Amino acid sequence: MSPESPPRASTRAAALRGPGAQLRLRAEEAASPLPPLLVQAEQLAGAVLLGEHGRRRSGVGDDFWQYRPVQPGDSRRSIDHRRSARGDQQFVREREWQIAQTVQFWTDCGTSMRFASREDLPTKGARARLLALATAILMVRGGERVGLTGGLLPPRRGKIQILRMAETWTEEQDTPYAPPEHRALVPHARALFISDFLGPMEELETALTKSADRGVRGILLQVLDPIEEAFPFAGRTRFESVTGALAHETLKARALRDRYLDRLADRRDAMDHLCRQTGWQLGLHHTDQSAQAGLLWLHGALGRSAVQSS
Amino acid sequence: MSESFGIGFAAPWLLLALLALPVLWFLLRAIPPAPKRQLFPAVTLLLGLGDKETQVHRTPWWLLLLRLLALAAVIVGLAGPVLNPSSPQASTKPLLLVIDASWAGAAHWAEKRKQLQLLMKDAARANRPVALMSLTEPRPLQFQPADAQVRLLAGVLPRPWQPSHQMLTTAARHVTEANQAFDTLWLSDGLAFAGATETRADLIAALLTRGTIEVVEDQHGVVGLMPAVFEDGAILLQATRATPGAAREHPLHALGLDPGGQERVLATATLQFEAGAKTATVRLSLPTELRARVSRFSLADVRSAGAVALSDARLRRRDVALISSQAGNEGLALLSPLHYLREALAPSANLLEGRLADLLPAKPDVIVLADVAHLPADQEEALVDWVTDGGLLLRFAGPRLAASDTARDAEEPLMPVRLRIGGRSIGGAMSWGDPKALAPFAEGSPFFKLEIPEEVTVRSQVAAQPDPELANRVIAELADGTPLVTRKELGQGQVVLFHVTANAEWSSLPLSGLFIKMLERLAVSSATKAPDATDLAGTVWQPIEVLDGFGHLRDAGTQPGVAGPALIEAASGPDLWPGVYQSGKRRLARNVLPDGAELQPAVWPPDIPVRAFEASPERPLGGALLSAALVLMALDVAASLLVSGLWSRSKAAKGAAALAVAMIFFHSPPAPAQTAAELAAELRLGHVLTGDSSVDATAAAGLRGLSDVLRNRTSVEPAAPVGVNLDRDELALFSILYWPMTAQQPMPSAEAYGRLNTYLANGGMIFFDTRDADLSGTGRASPAARRLQQIALSLDIPPLETVPRDHVLTRTFYLLQDFPGRHLRGMVWVEAAASEPGATEGVPFRQLNDGVTPVVIGGNDWASAWAVDASGAPMYPVGRGYGGERQRELARRFGVNLVMHVLTGNYKSDQVHVPALLDRLGQ
Repeated sequence: MSPESPPRASTRAAALRGPGAQLRLRAEEAASPLPPLLVQAEQLAGAVLLGEHGRRRSGVGDDFWQYRPVQPGDSRRSIDHRRSARGDQQFVREREWQIAQTVQFWTDCGTSMRFASREDLPTKGARARLLALATAILMVRGGERVGLTGGLLPPRRGKIQILRMAETWTEEQDTPYAPPEHRALVPHARALFISDFLGPMEELETALTKSADRGVRGILLQVLDPIEEAFPFAGRTRFESVTGALAHETLKARALRDRYLDRLADRRDAMDHLCRQTGWQLGLHHTDQSAQAGLLWLHGALGRSAVQSS
Repeated sequence: MSESFGIGFAAPWLLLALLALPVLWFLLRAIPPAPKRQLFPAVTLLLGLGDKETQVHRTPWWLLLLRLLALAAVIVGLAGPVLNPSSPQASTKPLLLVIDASWAGAAHWAEKRKQLQLLMKDAARANRPVALMSLTEPRPLQFQPADAQVRLLAGVLPRPWQPSHQMLTTAARHVTEANQAFDTLWLSDGLAFAGATETRADLIAALLTRGTIEVVEDQHGVVGLMPAVFEDGAILLQATRATPGAAREHPLHALGLDPGGQERVLATATLQFEAGAKTATVRLSLPTELRARVSRFSLADVRSAGAVALSDARLRRRDVALISSQAGNEGLALLSPLHYLREALAPSANLLEGRLADLLPAKPDVIVLADVAHLPADQEEALVDWVTDGGLLLRFAGPRLAASDTARDAEEPLMPVRLRIGGRSIGGAMSWGDPKALAPFAEGSPFFKLEIPEEVTVRSQVAAQPDPELANRVIAELADGTPLVTRKELGQGQVVLFHVTANAEWSSLPLSGLFIKMLERLAVSSATKAPDATDLAGTVWQPIEVLDGFGHLRDAGTQPGVAGPALIEAASGPDLWPGVYQSGKRRLARNVLPDGAELQPAVWPPDIPVRAFEASPERPLGGALLSAALVLMALDVAASLLVSGLWSRSKAAKGAAALAVAMIFFHSPPAPAQTAAELAAELRLGHVLTGDSSVDATAAAGLRGLSDVLRNRTSVEPAAPVGVNLDRDELALFSILYWPMTAQQPMPSAEAYGRLNTYLANGGMIFFDTRDADLSGTGRASPAARRLQQIALSLDIPPLETVPRDHVLTRTFYLLQDFPGRHLRGMVWVEAAASEPGATEGVPFRQLNDGVTPVVIGGNDWASAWAVDASGAPMYPVGRGYGGERQRELARRFGVNLVMHVLTGNYKSDQVHVPALLDRLGQ
């Protein structure tokens, strides 16, 4: 290079010409959805920090709860001498009751979730994963163990588990309408299934009865796009699934609306009925609602089921 | 061409295609709209839902109508419809177009030309050869195809005269000479040709022998303006029109030069034609000063030479100062030396009387000294100056002059000749001989051909000394050859001596009418009436400015002069254009319309058909219909999208954007270069384009960096820098030019050198940068430096010195000791201080208050140090590490100082700043 044009700062474009650049670029792209999802989920969870998971009563645990005077029946070994030595009275140190729950997650990663009717709306899948991850973060903060159904990620506690879950969810599946995964459920644990539940009803039935057999209770959260609720179509229309495998053509879409909405309501009734039979809870979330509303409902529902189970 | 309802078709058979439209109706309506594709995951719930009602989908009727309309527009458009198709010319004989082409038609010339084009187009359609004859300039007839003649139309212009007898005769001769039959179309301006009625009838007769005549007459009335007359202290303007019609108003403008030399409207008035009146009159009262400035009057709404009245000296009243030696004369009025002058001049001039010392500052046009022998020395000097500046000094002899010793021995500046002692008496009681009469005026005298009344005699006079010059200076003499009036030029003015008294004491000349005419010819007085032909006999008048047919004045160029009587009497023509004529010091205006002219409407023989101009020319409609079809089709595209549901807002926006881009693409004018006005609007740094692209790019980047620094740190906010091409761009718009030197730099052209020197002389600064301080520091001249020496050889560069430590460049904004650029220790040269004033004790600066250095020469490659890229980061490394950054900062500071020096000059040299500077220097 001539002295008139000394070396300039290397640009991104120049770096891309290297041999290892393609690999790195792909890796970066693959890694990029993870942090936003985590950050969003953390932010979401931060808004609902005060859960009901603190048991607020004495029991078996690690954290100090209270000193209480020795009562008859307490073993001598339980006397806290450090506290008792300050006076004449003898005290027993009690610890807070801590119990670890297990929550297992399943979110629908099928192609039908990869749909958003407007550009400013998230896809159903993105919203489902966000809600699931935020709930998982809340659970981990509450000391619970979280994991995925299906034996892919057994329940564990700790932040690293969140990362693993997030990583698993970045992988998309190509199944059009994925059936709920109900294998490897820990008995008496709790479960959270998030999907649009537009697939075959029989599989859902199987999943719920199987889990009910193992004493697992949980929550079904149906995530729908607003147009799936409103059906704002008219005229000659050809409806296609995301993969294009399923299609239905009509000459007068407006006339279909009422019958479609009836079928949607029927589907929801059937799910509700199923849930009541198995002791699950059914929730509904639309992608045009705020994620926080969905999270609050989930958190409350999990708390309720915890109280019910204890 | 078939025609109905004013619309004709070029290809009417194409209209049969319209019958196919109903068929299309059935074809088009059967096609249903395409389905809309919709992504919908809940399609699982839809499966199995059949349509309850089956509806046949058809194209909506309005969409069908739209399409059929578009198609119909295409068919009709292709059939070539024409609105107002002109009726075909039945005859196939050749066509002669006769045009008056006089000033009367100039007002509506565009219309007339359009009419001619239409007629020629018709003739071309009928395949008739056409000849064109303009009566104001008759030429032999040449029948040519109409297409060829249309091109010649642009050369036919209205002339500022009417066809004269002679022109009509010539035209009639050309008609007789053309040995073929033809029809005639006469485009008349609507005026009868004054004084040539018989010839006109002859011409019509000649034309009738060849074929038919049809007349197309201009129906707009002809209006003319007659020359302005000065009457009772006001200017009288009269307009006339050919046909007395309804009441009409014409705005009248008096035009002339303002004191700044710009022609502008000096006064306005309104000429009001009463209904049925042929003339209208307006009186315009103007102050003398303004009146003298008026050069012409014109009707503002009539664009014709006839609507212009040129004014000449008649409107101008000269200031004449009358001075006699007999102050406070209580003698008889008739004996006063000034009495006859007063009588002669009062109607046509403003007379000033008093003492010379009082009158001279009033700058009169003429000063008359009646029998004044001696003037005080200072007044004489002032008078000589006044005459030299163009004044006319008119002296009369008398007893005092005869008795004095004025101009006896030597010629005096204010006396045309030397005088002999005592004068001469003829025909008195004590002398022999009879009183002498005047000899006829010689050719070359301003009085040439003036008629001399017999009763004019001279009894006494002062006599001129014989002299070699005498013969040239005599302009009038007695019958025996003694000089009576002598004249001499003095500077731009002249001194005229009448060898007799201004009263009737010595001669009867002041009693005669000849006296007044002589004064007029000497331009002492200006005539109030138009001169008649005999008055101007023997004079030759040179045209100064002439009028064209539209009433615009233009320079007469090299047109030959005109004899005086012809100027008054002859008809206007190619030899005598209306305009302003000059003879000696006198000016006369020749107007299109003479005083008292009357405009007569043209009268045609009863068997000749006369029609007006065609009002509605034919207009082809095909293009409009085809474009309407295009618009309809575009609408159809949008409507089809809408119906089939494929219309979405984003698509529509994209389409509109594409359309807008296309429109811009088609209509965008070529990108305008930066105009001088844009460049001048904001301060800009400029760099001279060297032709080496990398050097130019560095210079541009450097100046951009310097501009950024200036904007951030100082109140100087320069706009983006500009590359300057020395041959093309205006240099005065740049206060500083950065000129990087390369060894291959081409030498500027001679013109560029001239511009550079002007630039330097007018306060511009050129900053030469040889960019070689890393090499030439050792004292060896680099190729760039040698090139600079060659280039600078022809520039006005003052003596130079290296920047002294107290130069104002060191403190215009920052306090600097040295001026590094990318290189550190190159010398910087500026203009050497003119003198060497000693430094005051304790003050570190000499008092050098003048002169911004026109050049700064150095080699430190400053542009590279200043250069920044688009993101504002430095482009080139300077020095090493932090020291390098310090060096770059100093380079920037030098740039700031330099620009400040250019803009503020030696402001910081002022002693006012010394205390503050001393404070900052810590002394």
